[in-house]
Amino acid sequence: SSNEHKLNFKKSKEACLSYIQDALLQKQWKRAAEFLTCYVESLEKDYSRENIGPSEMIWRIGTEILWHHSHSSMKEFNCFMEQMKTLGVKRYLKVCLEHVFHLLCNGQIDEAYQNLSLAESWRFGEQTAIQDKEMKLIQAYRGLLDYYSWSKQKNILLEQGEDGFSDLAVEQEMHSCFRKAAVNLKEIIKIPGVWDVFVKCYVDLLEFYGDHNEACQVLNEYAYNSKFPANPNAHVYLYQFLKRQGESKKSLISALKILHDIVPSHELMIDFNIMLQKSKKKKKRRLGLEVIFAALDYSSWKENAKAWSCLARQVKRIVISEKHLDWIKQEWNSRKDWWPAFHFSRYVAKRNWQENKSLAYEKALVAGILLGKDCKYFKHVSHQGCKAQLKRFQMLKKFVNRHNPVYLRISG
Amino acid sequence: MEFPAALFPCYFGAGPPREEGGPSPVAGWGEHGQVLEGGPGRRQAQPAFVPRRGATGERWEAADAAAVPVLLPSAGCWIPSPAPQDILYRNGLCRKLQAGKSGATLDFAKQLGHFFVDHPEDAFGSLGRLLHKNFYLGSSKLKVIVSRNSTIRMTALVEDIDRLEARRGCPRQHLASRLRWFSHLCRDWLFEVPLGLLADCLHEELMLQWSNLLFDDSLTGGALVWLPFGEGGTPMGRLVHPGGQAMNHLYFQDVVLEELPRTRGSPAQFELSGRIRQVAAARVNGEDFVGVRSDYHCGVWRVPSRTGAAPTPLQVIRTDVPASCLTVSPHLPGELSVCTQSGTVYLWNIETGLQQLRCDPQTMFFRDHSPWRWSDFTAHPRVLSCADRTGLQCLDARAPKKCHFDLFKVGEEAGCQQGERVVLPMYLGTAHPSQYLVTTQFSVYVLDERLPLVPILKWAHMMKAPPLFAHLMPGNPGRSHKVLLGASCTQEILLLQYRASFWGVSSGGSQSACQLAGTPQKLHSITGCLQHLPTQLPHRHHLLQQRLTAPATGMAATLQEDGPHKSMLVFQLSEAGDVFCQRLTHKAAQPCAPPSRDETTTAPGSSPLFEAPASSPQGLDAAALRYRRWLRAFSKAYKEHPRHTWTPSLSQRRLFTRRDLEGPVGPSTLQRQMRQRLRQAMWEGGRIQCWEPLAVQPPPLLQTLEPAGGLDPLSARLTAAWAGDWDQWWEERTSFNVAQRQRALRERRRRQKRARGRRSLSASFTSSLTYQSELSELSDAGPQVVSPGRPPIFSQEGSPPAGSPPVRRPLTSPVPDEALLSSQSLRCRGIPKERRKTLRDYLSVLAEGAPEPPEPPGSQASQLCIPSSQSQLSSASQPCRKRPRMGF
Repeated sequence: SSNEHKLNFKKSKEACLSYIQDALLQKQWKRAAEFLTCYVESLEKDYSRENIGPSEMIWRIGTEILWHHSHSSMKEFNCFMEQMKTLGVKRYLKVCLEHVFHLLCNGQIDEAYQNLSLAESWRFGEQTAIQDKEMKLIQAYRGLLDYYSWSKQKNILLEQGEDGFSDLAVEQEMHSCFRKAAVNLKEIIKIPGVWDVFVKCYVDLLEFYGDHNEACQVLNEYAYNSKFPANPNAHVYLYQFLKRQGESKKSLISALKILHDIVPSHELMIDFNIMLQKSKKKKKRRLGLEVIFAALDYSSWKENAKAWSCLARQVKRIVISEKHLDWIKQEWNSRKDWWPAFHFSRYVAKRNWQENKSLAYEKALVAGILLGKDCKYFKHVSHQGCKAQLKRFQMLKKFVNRHNPVYLRISG
Repeated sequence: MEFPAALFPCYFGAGPPREEGGPSPVAGWGEHGQVLEGGPGRRQAQPAFVPRRGATGERWEAADAAAVPVLLPSAGCWIPSPAPQDILYRNGLCRKLQAGKSGATLDFAKQLGHFFVDHPEDAFGSLGRLLHKNFYLGSSKLKVIVSRNSTIRMTALVEDIDRLEARRGCPRQHLASRLRWFSHLCRDWLFEVPLGLLADCLHEELMLQWSNLLFDDSLTGGALVWLPFGEGGTPMGRLVHPGGQAMNHLYFQDVVLEELPRTRGSPAQFELSGRIRQVAAARVNGEDFVGVRSDYHCGVWRVPSRTGAAPTPLQVIRTDVPASCLTVSPHLPGELSVCTQSGTVYLWNIETGLQQLRCDPQTMFFRDHSPWRWSDFTAHPRVLSCADRTGLQCLDARAPKKCHFDLFKVGEEAGCQQGERVVLPMYLGTAHPSQYLVTTQFSVYVLDERLPLVPILKWAHMMKAPPLFAHLMPGNPGRSHKVLLGASCTQEILLLQYRASFWGVSSGGSQSACQLAGTPQKLHSITGCLQHLPTQLPHRHHLLQQRLTAPATGMAATLQEDGPHKSMLVFQLSEAGDVFCQRLTHKAAQPCAPPSRDETTTAPGSSPLFEAPASSPQGLDAAALRYRRWLRAFSKAYKEHPRHTWTPSLSQRRLFTRRDLEGPVGPSTLQRQMRQRLRQAMWEGGRIQCWEPLAVQPPPLLQTLEPAGGLDPLSARLTAAWAGDWDQWWEERTSFNVAQRQRALRERRRRQKRARGRRSLSASFTSSLTYQSELSELSDAGPQVVSPGRPPIFSQEGSPPAGSPPVRRPLTSPVPDEALLSSQSLRCRGIPKERRKTLRDYLSVLAEGAPEPPEPPGSQASQLCIPSSQSQLSSASQPCRKRPRMGF
């Protein structure tokens, strides 16, 4: 009966698919390709109502094979993609986008641009939400490519400018590129998402044309709109923009303070700490200590010599001045039960000494002040340093011995 | 580690997952996802783009065609956990119902019945004693005595029950009215245990077993760990794995990594009080801390990373509710995190004890029934992640109630599908301090805790079962990190590569976004070696298959660098306690010409084991030897425990009535002889190995079988059917009256044929003997000549030469005469031509009394396998198991 036939057909289809899958997972591209040619038959009697129909499977598998097959060429790939675009209306934009990505990765920027323009003009009935998103992405990528050609022409003009004459045609073209890019880029960054590349390019365009207010607004929106994910880069871009604009220390600090709140382990925290240490306000210096302590909590900072030297410098300054020892005490309180095992064990001391002597020096100073002169880390490093007759370490030993009562006040 | 200067673009939405769909077999192929400007090339006129997925990765190729056993199977016999057919109801009617509607029907009645049969004392103990006097079970009539009024005869009832059992599964099964009457009468008072309560408990247990069969999350994380010695680089390490029949022994086994991993010395062993579900480890300050989780106990060991240094048990905790997770801190020595199924998360420090971080039986983001919880460490030693099926949260151990943030949510944020659930989260600290791996049944995500909720990498893994195990092998700077995903019941292992950073020029050469490198690769599973093993006898093949298809319960791997040669060793542990291993070798990719790879020359996996890699003959031999030893130990383990195997027994009470069994008045001499033999066999506790009256007394049997006149129609038909000319017989019978004249002629022809038919029957029997002899010919011990003093047709249970050749030679004549071997005599015995030579060879070997050098048959020689060990076993076990049935 026809029902049975359908069932059998379905079964053999599934078997074929599993063979293909097996071959793909073992990187046997030729074998997979042979099976795929059989699987194409499944298009003829596509009764399936599944989410992913045979046409999508053929697109995905075929693409994967053509990426890796030793005899495939870009021409064949393009040809296959054109066929796949006609195979499913719902997937048209997605296939276009993937095609463009492949062209971009292979350096065929112009072809990619053409494809994007074509896809942008495509219309078919009402768009679904997903298609809408895909269309926006297509426009955004076109904007990105427009930006790149703008920046190319800008460079040409700048070079020519040095020579003293300018080309009007190039300039006009550059401006038209700017308009095209700006329109598309502006659209996508309104929608919640991660748009690092698009934001950067758009801000670059705006800055070039002197629209600093718009740029600032865009960056603020990207960083502080609660519908967007908490992207550290958004704050970094804002900080960098403010720095470029020569904004006041205060606004820079407030931008970094927010970054510190969301990502205490961000690499900009060293700059932040240095900036705060230089400040004359007590509150800011206090914040600086907090920032550097918090950063050193993270395992990624464990062997960061620069961060340890920041902490050592600040701690040393406090100890010498004997003012604000309570700051250290407060920070140390929540860490004294695990920092010794985490940072200041004998094993770590040995390793630090072997691998990075200046790191060992800074850490030993901090350990000596926080844990006293009997702490394992300090003892090991200062012993090794004195044995090697390094003057720095002898000084360190003297310093810690002299300030040992501080330790009692901190830990008490 | 610096944060990437630019991330791949993506949309961000909030709320429940919108995308419909389910598992798709191909969803992971053919997509770049997104592209980002990067890579060296910004200085040129055009920007260079890199894809999120589809960048070239490292090339790893399997060194062998299958995984190879590392450890010998343990001595005990493995008892497989229940299979679906054990607890599912199987009935024609039910199957029809099932086909229409999804959902399985559990065989509740059978399991309840098992309880009454297995624990009669608990079920009916005291009432049984009370009623003892009032129930009469004898077969004779009740005598009219004093107790007549208080005693009833139950024999008929018992017979009814027996009959019911005999007709189990029969569609025409009707309840006997007497049974129904009895159950109606005593249902309320007969059982010791309240029936409702018992049924509730049983039902609960059955549901639990069934859900475990569908998906057993107690195995999450895996129970196999590899601890390398020293700082890595040394080709030695320690394998920590569970073992023993109940998987309650913890072994620390030193292993040397050569071409194949080799165990060194005997393992340090600890007996624990529960089945080991998970073994986790982390290295802190040069020492390994190993956490072990069973249902109600968690323990921690400290293991110095030196050869021969003994592991020290440090502390054990007991939980009231089964623990579902145990992870070891990579930051602080002696710190672990424990989760229980009641939704409690503890930070466990061996010095300060347990600190409860969270206690919430509800799931975090939306309601899900699963009590599974997981927890792991993050880049901050005081911040732990907590997971349930709906997502991940990070909480600060110093203020767990106040300080927490959502790391991953099953929802639109991560672009999840409907019905997607977290299966295994893992901290990727050794590769990147702030990255996290989360697997679901559909996809695998990489998260960065600095950018929560938005996966920096997502890929549909297309595995058939959810990945319960994951293993990370961090790559050196500039190289890709390798992640292995492992599933339990399908034993799948998938190798993925990702790059946490590539050279982004736009940001001045700093970190750039995470991308998936290369294509995923499927590694060998334990089951995969089955097809490469030599052909087995069916029952042994079944045992082997059962053993090798046991669900995986753990996975471990290590990278080994020996100068320019890099290789990866992947270990897989099965529920039966087997540890198999495979080696992958790194092929240096040509940097300028990536399309030069051609799989025609090297197609891993497509070639059978032991035949392909001509490059490494040592490896080939070693692998074959490994298999040989493993198979031998495996068969030995099963031979030692024959009582586990089901011995066939058949009640004859219901098959024959007593009158049937009584037979004629005077038994014939043959019958007497048979009975005597039977009695002797029972007396000796042996079995009749070959019930062959023909051999004992050929002439009388021939006479009895050969009917003097015409047979009754049934026998005639059967005989004809055996001879293969049944249709002719039918024709003859229908045209019975046609020609009286031809009848005599046909009668003669039929007799001839019948005679031949009988011979070919016996020939088929002989051929099975020859098969046995072929096997024993290959065995190590060689065939042993049976002493003529004892009748060789009996074999005692415990006697070692159970596989003594069951030949007819000693029966027919004490010395093998030439006549026996002549082809003429063999032909007239009805032995087919092709078997005569084998039989002759075999008999001649016997005559010499010494084994010939084993000459493997052609088919086996090409496979280069292990003929001796298992054929010896099979020849030993085969007759023991099969023969008695033939006798009855």
